Amino acid sequence: MGIFNKFIVFLVFISLSAIASSRPISWSGGSTIMYQSNSMYSSYYYHFSPTYKYSVGAEYINNRYFNEQYINLKTTYLLNRKNTKMSQGNLYLTGGISTKSKDNFFYGVHGDWETRRIFTSFSHIKKHTNTINYAENEFKFGVAPYLGEYNDLHTWLMLKTKKDTINNIWETYPFIKLFKGDSLLEIGTKSSHWDIHYMFRF
Amino acid sequence: MYKLLLPLVIFTSNLAFAMDGMHDHGSHNHKDHQAEKYYVDGSKTKISDQMFSEFSSGLSDVQIAIIDVQGMVCDFCARGIEKTFNDDKDVKKVNVSLENGKVLIAYSMNKEVNLNEIRNIFLSNGQTATGIVIKKI
Repeated sequence: MGIFNKFIVFLVFISLSAIASSRPISWSGGSTIMYQSNSMYSSYYYHFSPTYKYSVGAEYINNRYFNEQYINLKTTYLLNRKNTKMSQGNLYLTGGISTKSKDNFFYGVHGDWETRRIFTSFSHIKKHTNTINYAENEFKFGVAPYLGEYNDLHTWLMLKTKKDTINNIWETYPFIKLFKGDSLLEIGTKSSHWDIHYMFRF
Repeated sequence: MYKLLLPLVIFTSNLAFAMDGMHDHGSHNHKDHQAEKYYVDGSKTKISDQMFSEFSSGLSDVQIAIIDVQGMVCDFCARGIEKTFNDDKDVKKVNVSLENGKVLIAYSMNKEVNLNEIRNIFLSNGQTATGIVIKKI
């Protein structure tokens, strides 16, 4: 497969799990809706957590670049959680399929560890398509410039770096994360495009 | 650089898992019983007079549960605590303090406070309740 074709496949499936690692499980009985928009696509994602151990959800994607729409079905399982007085760490397994084709699916592992001041996370996702299989690695690091109390506006200055095994190039860009109450908003810029990610829990 | 970053992040993300298994939420073994013994022991649960007086202001004929909570480091992740307890008609007021790692819950006096119920609510929200005391006013 040529470089161009690999790049096209990469662009298509970058959306498959773009938000797979963002707050993947809510509290028992909790629901989450997400909206994400960037230069290529916009998506609407709903997931429900029957228990705190796993969530299931569906994501509608409108890919403006290829003028196509499809749905991804996703699930995430909490493999381990460690709570301490000052921190929480989580390790998840995730997977999903796409309505595009039965050959399109992904699975992987991701984890996070955070205090009130520092946030770190990683993910390693294997993606399968009918033309190519590849992996994607991602790391996030964030710092809270101030410590907000419950119900305050919380602000995080974040840095994300990611690489897939097709292009083999690390991409790093900053974004800001704001949340207050049941709403969370992430805004970043990458290659002169804005990435917006909104989340609401209920 | 990234070869260094990878193990660093994985290490920090999993450091907590490696420390001990005292609060393994997913299983019920002898370690859980140890955790439960500690949970019902509120001897280490302290609260400042100011925090208690601010919470109890305007309340009367209630029993206030003061709960030490671990893993409550994120406002967005703690929203379920308030929602779940407020679903109980016997709950008059809930206060979450991220700074102190405590949750205060005011129950009506006719409520039989169930420690396991409280523990499970925190568990279902992703946190660990480690100590509790009840004060009646």
